[in-house]
Amino acid sequence: MERNNVLVPSPAKIVKIESMTDIEKLIELEFVDKDFAKNFIYEPGQFVEVSVMGVGEAPVSICAARKKEDILELCVRRVGKVTNAIHRLNVGDLLWVRGPYGNNFPMKNMEGKNLLLVGGGLGIAPLRGVLQHALVNREKYGEITVLYGVRCYTSMLFRDEFLQLFYDGDKENVKFLLSYEDSADQACYELECERNDRCLSGVVTKLFQLTEAAPDNTYAVICGPPIMYKFVVRELLQRNFDPRHIYMTLERRMKCGVGKCGHCIVGSGTSIRYVCKDGPVFTYWDAMNTKGMI
Amino acid sequence: MYKKLAREELYGFFESLKKMGEVYAPVSIGGSSYDFKKVSSPNEADLTYTRTMIPPKKFFVKTKEKIFDFDEEKAKFREPKEEEGITVVLGIHPCDIHAVKLLDKVYMDETPDKYYVERRENTVLVGVDCHPDENCFCKSTGTSYVADGFDLFLHEISGGYFVRVGSERGYQIIEGNKNLFKDAEAKDAEEFRLNEKKRQAEFKLDLNVLGLQDMLDMSYDNPVWKETADECLGCGTCNLTCPTCRCYDVVDNVGLDLKTGERVRRWDSCMLRKHGLVAGGLNFRPTRVERLLNRFNCKGSLREGMLNCVGCGRCTVYCPADIDFVEIMKKVRGEL
Repeated sequence: MERNNVLVPSPAKIVKIESMTDIEKLIELEFVDKDFAKNFIYEPGQFVEVSVMGVGEAPVSICAARKKEDILELCVRRVGKVTNAIHRLNVGDLLWVRGPYGNNFPMKNMEGKNLLLVGGGLGIAPLRGVLQHALVNREKYGEITVLYGVRCYTSMLFRDEFLQLFYDGDKENVKFLLSYEDSADQACYELECERNDRCLSGVVTKLFQLTEAAPDNTYAVICGPPIMYKFVVRELLQRNFDPRHIYMTLERRMKCGVGKCGHCIVGSGTSIRYVCKDGPVFTYWDAMNTKGMI
Repeated sequence: MYKKLAREELYGFFESLKKMGEVYAPVSIGGSSYDFKKVSSPNEADLTYTRTMIPPKKFFVKTKEKIFDFDEEKAKFREPKEEEGITVVLGIHPCDIHAVKLLDKVYMDETPDKYYVERRENTVLVGVDCHPDENCFCKSTGTSYVADGFDLFLHEISGGYFVRVGSERGYQIIEGNKNLFKDAEAKDAEEFRLNEKKRQAEFKLDLNVLGLQDMLDMSYDNPVWKETADECLGCGTCNLTCPTCRCYDVVDNVGLDLKTGERVRRWDSCMLRKHGLVAGGLNFRPTRVERLLNRFNCKGSLREGMLNCVGCGRCTVYCPADIDFVEIMKKVRGEL
């Protein structure tokens, strides 16, 4: 009997590579198997398992909303064995993809609401899908505020795209705020001088000084380095955000993506969860009930 | 359906199992340890064993197995051929059958794992009853008796075995060996009932598992984790011997031509340092304290109402640092 083998990936050709920073590349993939591509339907927040044969497999979040059915965009930071190998590949080379896995940001539930996206560093990648989805369906969402924290100008991802929003976002009712941690960074300092209502030096939570971030009718969506969550959540709770309206996506070691290999387990007796299949998107309400989640 | 197998027919029964496929049964491997090994005669097996060191999960989730071969140049995969033939596991205990049922929930009910499902379908489970030793606490976990999940189950009675039929395949084995099995009589059933009552009274070790999940939640900061972590060697033996532990790791092995290779998965252990480590060096469970906490919480949690521990006692018996699972859980409950 022919059985579907969930552990076997599908080939995808690299059609475009864009070096965004010293360590991050935007990689555009085109699925070789068109049937696979047709069924590869994903929502913002989901992730894929990407393989370089002979090196291994790693979970990578999808960094764009679904536009064309056979194209997949991944933002890959060169940080481990697999991602380093991905960085060595060229246009035309093959990557192997399984997925999409995990749950997603509840784009439907958030319709009619204001969105507050808080991203730190590479954490902006999965949020970009949310942002794109909301911009394409602009009439369905209220005001969009993006708080993006970077280390310095050169570490800023999707720079052209985001700078355009930074300057001209108002046309689409998007407020794009930027914080930079390296206070000596010249380019960011110039941005701050230009628009000190949009940019400041410091960690991402400092941007709450520049925006009202009212809890009414607003969903917060967070992604960033693990240390960031509790500080952002603290700001939101101080502003009386409902824990169930704070969404975040988590990083863990994931070998299988389908709730078996066990590396991504979090929680305690009453609340053992697999981040790969029960998440990676959780609400702060989940985090309150799951020890060790953030 | 209930049958009786006379003791002298055990050989005939064994031969019929051998005709079906390879028969694995508990074999003494020195000391008080046993392992499920391939046997060719019932004399090699010891059906009165206590527990095997390596649990029967090894038949379904292999210690190390190929997921596929790859050829990078031709961009091709080859999945390993389905293993042919039937494996018969003779002498599996109730706790271990419960553990297999739990693995089924993980590997079959949700995004089915092809290799697991194939093996599960090609394996016949013949259970045998047992007597608890000082480390068994399956009565506490509700797994000292098993109602389904096996093909046949043998309960020792005078003169042979009282046999429960647990599946259609089990029934086919009976059908195919009509000369070996007799219908169980009222006195056999009576003896089975009596033995079961006696057996359930033999348990010395008890652990109250009611509300264990909340007890664990509330013990997140209990000093017991630090104290135990100081003793723990972090070797992962508890994971390997646990019948419900199923974490696995994946590695690629490349051939000498650097073009072909294989992807392999192998048992992993949450007690090892790398288990929670992500690229970049961040470890979500950086010390043994977090790792122990995670293991005990995982074991004490429920999966669709089923406890992730079946009370087999292996982790306690084989821990080189003499860490006692039940004792820790009792501390968590505030009973010690």
